[in-house]
Amino acid sequence: MAYIELDVIQDRTEPVLGIDLGTTNSMAALFVGGKPVVLRPSDHGGVVPSAVFFADDGSTLVGGKARDRAAAEPDRALFSVKRFMGRGLDDVQQDLENVPFRTSAGPNGVIQFHVREETYTPEQISAMILGEVQRLACQALGGEAPKRAVITVPAYFDDTQRQATRTAARLAGLETLRIINEPTAASLAYGLDQRKEGTVVVYDLGGGTFDVSILAIEDGVFRVLSTAGDTHLGGDDFDRVLVQLAKQELAPKISAEDLTDPALTQSLRLAAERCKQELSRSPSAELHVSIADHGVTLRRRVTRDEYEALIGDLIQRTLALCTSALADAKLTPADVDEVVLVGGSTRTPAVRAAVEAAFGRVPHTELNPDEVVALGAAVQGHVLAGGTRDVLLLDVTPLSLGLETMGGAVEKIIHRNSPVPCSAKAGFTTYADNQTGMTFNIVQGERELAEDCRSLGRFELKGIPPMPAGMGRIAVRFAIDADGILQVTAKEETKGATASIEIHPMNGLDDDQVEAMLKASLDNAKEDFEARRVADLLIELGTMLAAVDKNMTAVNERLDPESRLEIEEAAADARALTAKGAARPGVEHAQKIRDRFEQATLPLAAVLMDNVARTALSGKALSDV
Amino acid sequence: MEIDVAEPERSQAACERCGRPLESTVACLECGALLRTDEEDPFRAFGIERAFEVDAKLLRKKLLKLQRATHPDFFATQGEAEREAAERATSSLNAAFEILSDDLRRADWLVSAQGGPSRDDERQMPQAFLMEVMEWNEVLEEARDGGTGDPNALATLTSDLDAARTTELAGLERDLTPLPAAGDERLRTVRRRLNALRYIDRALGEIGTLTR
Repeated sequence: MAYIELDVIQDRTEPVLGIDLGTTNSMAALFVGGKPVVLRPSDHGGVVPSAVFFADDGSTLVGGKARDRAAAEPDRALFSVKRFMGRGLDDVQQDLENVPFRTSAGPNGVIQFHVREETYTPEQISAMILGEVQRLACQALGGEAPKRAVITVPAYFDDTQRQATRTAARLAGLETLRIINEPTAASLAYGLDQRKEGTVVVYDLGGGTFDVSILAIEDGVFRVLSTAGDTHLGGDDFDRVLVQLAKQELAPKISAEDLTDPALTQSLRLAAERCKQELSRSPSAELHVSIADHGVTLRRRVTRDEYEALIGDLIQRTLALCTSALADAKLTPADVDEVVLVGGSTRTPAVRAAVEAAFGRVPHTELNPDEVVALGAAVQGHVLAGGTRDVLLLDVTPLSLGLETMGGAVEKIIHRNSPVPCSAKAGFTTYADNQTGMTFNIVQGERELAEDCRSLGRFELKGIPPMPAGMGRIAVRFAIDADGILQVTAKEETKGATASIEIHPMNGLDDDQVEAMLKASLDNAKEDFEARRVADLLIELGTMLAAVDKNMTAVNERLDPESRLEIEEAAADARALTAKGAARPGVEHAQKIRDRFEQATLPLAAVLMDNVARTALSGKALSDV
Repeated sequence: MEIDVAEPERSQAACERCGRPLESTVACLECGALLRTDEEDPFRAFGIERAFEVDAKLLRKKLLKLQRATHPDFFATQGEAEREAAERATSSLNAAFEILSDDLRRADWLVSAQGGPSRDDERQMPQAFLMEVMEWNEVLEEARDGGTGDPNALATLTSDLDAARTTELAGLERDLTPLPAAGDERLRTVRRRLNALRYIDRALGEIGTLTR
């Protein structure tokens, strides 16, 4: 029994990572020594740019290296995939105009990116990013990285987007202990750091998303009162207004067709990002792009005033959402005690000024806006690992959930800003005689008509016993768990008949597809491993060939002809394998050639050792040895 | 003589695990046992007397205290059964809090629980209210069509509605204190007041959209 108890104890203390899986950057943090810290290896800042690059030799780069190479070869890179998580092609037309990706609709309407001959879902790309985050965490901890994590998502992510995030983690071999909302995570890090109580507004403007959450902090309980947001509003949009400006300037100089060239789009995007960052520090900055392919250089000075006029509407949209969150919490700006800024885009002076004016107080900026989300996730990880009961997070669901009724209207079953976990029931009656089945469309959103909301999926209740119309009573139960993820069950109540439900996910992968991807990624892992092994063997063969070439002539006469022949034959095979333009050999073949080469050169090695020994020992008496 | 409708055995109920007195039917605050995780009576879930009047601050404190015992975050490393029980317990506390902390929802729950008419059984509004509703509808109608005439019409309507809301809420409290028993005509009055309040809130919501 002793070892079982030990297992239990170890299980309890096993740390839980906090991971911020961001549109632009991702990172991991862990609660150690009484506070959350960002995990950084000694030679690395810990930030993983959320980008993946597929190189010529079949290898995959993730993070900074991928981002750097994306500029030159945009057709091999994927970035900002968070914008596509849990979305269908129709949802993201606007996003697609701004990225050089080739896409198609995959199973269940999931978006697929085409890179060379392969296709990847946003979940798979996110899994690669999570894998890299985990690798860095592992390095930073000098051992094995925790396998369990708390992963953050924008508060305004809907059910499908949350599910997609869970799937990505599963593909990366991570167990998601909890999905938490980014602004809520930030409030945790902030609240603990500043030991604050009262009403706090978290204004979170990231790369691709905007969230605002209003919380009441009291006795270590962080209770979200309301949340509002836009999953298509962020720093990328600030870049976009500068890209548009650059395109206007370039339009007279190059053809319309060249203007849409992916490589150009990518260069403009990067130039816009640099210009934007400079404008946060200086009153003016240069928008500078030189495009060798088109023989065009653009140098355009942008003043802060001009830039702020361009992004004014975007900032106004964030303020309107703040107003709506306040109204939902039944509060006015005067009730707010503190405003906390989160997300890299809140470095923009115009954003800070607008928030200050809207709430009538200077916002807090003590914590690094890029790190505070991961730090908060680590705090939550510590709570879930059983590390403390002093902190408790009570969050809400951002969007209403309901069912489509006859006629296309929505019957809301759970209202937005309801605290989670929660559950609610609704009753329906059969509408035809001897009706044996009923189909439900689950929708999420605030609009009145189902077609204006997001459909999370349809399910069919089967096995209703035959009875006259209106007699069959069906109870549908919605339950949202602490991750904000929905479960639906339905039951026919009159006859108590058990009925089966099949849910067909929209824009989400079902279990079988995830399993297939997991298997594929394991196969890929095997391929990757083998490719690396072959590369190592070829390098070894090269070293051996160089040694043979260098020494054969010198020791030629001291080898018997048979050994000489064997060495020459083995060397010829090795040379064929390592020659420029030679096909990549299989791992077994390469291993065989290497082993044979090593075997054949044993006599040569013996002679060389003998030479070395003789040189070393010359002039020494045997007794000195 | 007033009849105490609180069930006396509730306050004396003991935890089936540790035997100490219970403050809530959902969980034991002493030993942390999860009990009736599907409690449908919000007053029992919070261990307070069934009444219209509640202390908002006490309610909030109690919610936080109970959530500290039931929240799934504190069960994350336990087995699936425990995790699910925690989800259910916390869900029922959340549902109870939503009802208890909202005057209209609390009144609605009380009318049904005391055996009063449901929303479908009683669709009328208070008689005195009906004349005003006809006037208000006209103003709203006009505003929907683009708002001609008096520019202050909506502002006036808003303050009229706010005043009516205050009146009806006060009426709710009066009619529900002490809590009427089944068959008491006051339950029907309360249902009518609730219908009026639903109308008022819908109208105020629409004015909000129209003036934005």
